[in-house]
Amino acid sequence: MSLMLSRDFFLDRYEELGWRFRKPEVKQSIRVNSANAEREEVIARLEAQGVRLNKISFLEEGYWVAKSKFSLGATPEYLLGLYSIQEAAAQIPVTLFSKIEGSHVLDACAAPGGKTVQLANLMKNTGVIVALDVKPRRLVALSNHLERCHVENTIVYMLDARKSSRLNMKFDRILLDVPCSGNFSTDSGWFSRRTINDVERHARLQRKILAEAVQILKADGEIVYSTCSLEPEENEFNVDWAVQTLDVELVDSDCYGEPAPTKIFGVELDGSIAKCKRIWPRLTQGFFVCKLRRKG
Amino acid sequence: MRTTRPNKQISDFLARFKATINLNEKLIVEKKNRYYLLNKNLMTQLQEDFYHAGVYLGKTKRSRFFPSFTLLAMVARGRVNKIVVDRKTGWLFICGRDIFKRGILKTAGSMRKGDHALVVNQYGECLGFGVLLCNLHEERDTQKVVLKNISDIGDFLRRERKRI
Repeated sequence: MSLMLSRDFFLDRYEELGWRFRKPEVKQSIRVNSANAEREEVIARLEAQGVRLNKISFLEEGYWVAKSKFSLGATPEYLLGLYSIQEAAAQIPVTLFSKIEGSHVLDACAAPGGKTVQLANLMKNTGVIVALDVKPRRLVALSNHLERCHVENTIVYMLDARKSSRLNMKFDRILLDVPCSGNFSTDSGWFSRRTINDVERHARLQRKILAEAVQILKADGEIVYSTCSLEPEENEFNVDWAVQTLDVELVDSDCYGEPAPTKIFGVELDGSIAKCKRIWPRLTQGFFVCKLRRKG
Repeated sequence: MRTTRPNKQISDFLARFKATINLNEKLIVEKKNRYYLLNKNLMTQLQEDFYHAGVYLGKTKRSRFFPSFTLLAMVARGRVNKIVVDRKTGWLFICGRDIFKRGILKTAGSMRKGDHALVVNQYGECLGFGVLLCNLHEERDTQKVVLKNISDIGDFLRRERKRI
């Protein structure tokens, strides 16, 4: 498919989902690592260097970077783990878990570790996080990230999330920030590289990860499922499949974003799919997130 | 994986800074020459084939111990040889540069030639460490390099570049 055809194909789909293309202006954002420093202190230190930050209204520890004359990924404060550079929408999934302190958490697709560090912060380094990834290079990045941010409660294994039951563990909370086809707002070459076949390939992989996660979820456990894809095959269709097939139900996701559509491309989905949140790219990248728990 | 004796490597290394730190040896595990400090909770959950666990303390390579920045941060909280530097000097140190006498705000512990010292900023946060090139208190020339950089937190960026 030519670039124009590919672009039109996907943009037509988004229109069917109720969103008309507007060029997004994705802003850089940071998240203060509250386990390592007081939020006000970190902000004051950055502002004293001329960095202008604006609080992100829908995130407790997130700030938009309004102005900075230098890279925020190379300051002493960054290298000391006082904050992380984390896209605003990507900060949402971890905040959806309830009662996470002291719990046993699986971060099934963890590298490069932004959400793992966020989990450790919210857990105040209590409990246990088991973080998985498969690629050695990504594991190195994850390990560096944990060291930089002084995370204390995490065990990392090189293991495919589709095989996580091999750990012989049950988890209170499972984060599935699954591999996905991504979206055009943070990847300028997205339309020229992606086809519907990629989307479907990712969707199949994601279902396998979902099914495996449900097997190792404790009776009162919660799963947060998220992607940075805008494609319904990887989002609403997959969650609809999980709700119909696996022993889970959706819980309201009290966060930024709009309720996911329940009728897509003529297919009627379970009404509870509206509890998922779809975030169209504007100030943030495109994103999808939902929270599941065991039935009953 | 194995739990290890009070890792002589670590205590020998810390002795160079005149630092003492109580690490519960029963909670230290070694994997591929890397040392990790766990808590009791993590210890019960740990499986043989882990990649990283708890607090990474450092690694040994050709019998030399290379500390993690988390270990250095833990050590910096206690009594230890350390020099406190101003912001600009701290920044240059993170970029891999040595330290001139003029950038030092204050010192603690032994400052004799050949001693190791942690480098901390005005907030007491550890930026790395180095070796003293002179008896610091006897050195009058503020333009002279007095501490040679051995390791600094800018290494996090250099590691990333190496990976690319």
